[in-house]
Amino acid sequence: MDDDEVLDTIRRTVLLVLPDLEPDLVQPQRTLTELGANSIDRAEVVSLTMETLGVDVPVAAFAGVRDIGGLAALLRRHL
Amino acid sequence: MTVVVTGAGVLSAIAAGVEEFAAALRAGRSGIAARGTGELSADLAGFDFGAAVAARYRLAEPIRRAALRAAARAPLPVQAAVTVALQAWEAAGLHAEPVPADRTGVVVGGHNLGGAYADAVRPRYRASPAYLPGRYALRYLDTDHVGTVSQVLGITGEGCTVGGASASGNAAIVHGCRLVACGEVDACLVIGALTELSAMERQAFVNLGALAGAGANGGRHSDAEPATLCRPFDEDRAGFVPGQAAACLVLESAESARRRGARALATVAGYALRLDGNSLADPDPAGEARVMAEALRRAGLGPGEVDYVNTHGTGSRLGDEAEVAALRKVFGSDLGRPWLNSTKGLVGHGLCAAGVVEAVAALVQLRDGFVHPNANLARPIDGECRFAGGRAEPAELTVAMSNGFGFGGFNSSVVFVGPGR
Repeated sequence: MDDDEVLDTIRRTVLLVLPDLEPDLVQPQRTLTELGANSIDRAEVVSLTMETLGVDVPVAAFAGVRDIGGLAALLRRHL
Repeated sequence: MTVVVTGAGVLSAIAAGVEEFAAALRAGRSGIAARGTGELSADLAGFDFGAAVAARYRLAEPIRRAALRAAARAPLPVQAAVTVALQAWEAAGLHAEPVPADRTGVVVGGHNLGGAYADAVRPRYRASPAYLPGRYALRYLDTDHVGTVSQVLGITGEGCTVGGASASGNAAIVHGCRLVACGEVDACLVIGALTELSAMERQAFVNLGALAGAGANGGRHSDAEPATLCRPFDEDRAGFVPGQAAACLVLESAESARRRGARALATVAGYALRLDGNSLADPDPAGEARVMAEALRRAGLGPGEVDYVNTHGTGSRLGDEAEVAALRKVFGSDLGRPWLNSTKGLVGHGLCAAGVVEAVAALVQLRDGFVHPNANLARPIDGECRFAGGRAEPAELTVAMSNGFGFGGFNSSVVFVGPGR
């Protein structure tokens, strides 16, 4: 699975959690907070994406993630 | 202070909305069916939350958007609570002539509402604890109903859940009345929460012998027509059938209703909520009679003035017998006067929701002047009680009583008086 597929999974998950969102706004340089996700939404995006990708990343590892690109990179390292 | 009902909403196996509910009750339509697996239940058929929200087009668009944002992926009970709250909000005209947000309250009747949702989420947790949505920390709380409804409607007055097993709905009405009567709020939404039994919860009722159609074959009906198996007050009754339902009333001070020009469906004239001092599933006619008599006393009415009783009437062997004995105690020589029926024979037992669902049933019968049929009442267990028959009867009703009794000795009764009086 390449990085674009990880990103696509994140995009689908974000749109599931935030159905009002314009799909094109989900870009690597954006943050979930900028897109209107609250802390619960963000946690849900992470758990749903991990579930879809079949990866299991310790919660502490997400502390350094700044944007959607960073989230994708972290998940990709655990594939 | 006089407390009136200015709006209502309902969702059940036979109707999505008050007018459809009134028509279905009058027609005696049953929502009881066998699921694919054979268990009897009165399930919401084809419920679509998006469509239910869209149907409230009279409400401002931001409210509908907030409903979708807050509950599009919520568990069924929360979606049902939002749906009936929006219906009642619109019916009470709160969108057009509002009550201040901090003078509006919300009380949700119900507890242990997340069992079926936990069943649904558990496989994900089993696959990996990391896949459990963080949101589950909010969703497993019954109070998620309160939080979500208050967010959607912008309610900032007092709010909480209250519980009393199958008397939870009436407990919510009682608590909501008190909030209005003591001046804490001007209007209060009271919601009977949809009780979606988990597999284990349902099986416990089966093992207790409480469910209809749950004979030797483990909760699965045999070859009888499913809708005939819930038989309140019939000699051949064999237990209750669970029903998915939710309902909402807007309770409001008469003064606030007058100020807003809102029409009152009825006055909540009296109520009582009392315990038997007993943790069991052991109905006590004396305790049941006590709440009916107390509700009437508070309403300033005598038993001879009651036109109609919406019974608890689950179709259980012991429960129906106890309720008839209690009615006999309260009504004495007037036992044959009030019409009696059981809404549970048509929509199943809404459990925590039942009190509010049946309040809506009572209110539409008061308003429209009829009593709905008693399903499957071929051989009544009592010859003096005036049970409704197999067809709806026209009836001029002014005073209605609605009973709710719960496991653990919760007895409750609420008296509504129609505007004609």
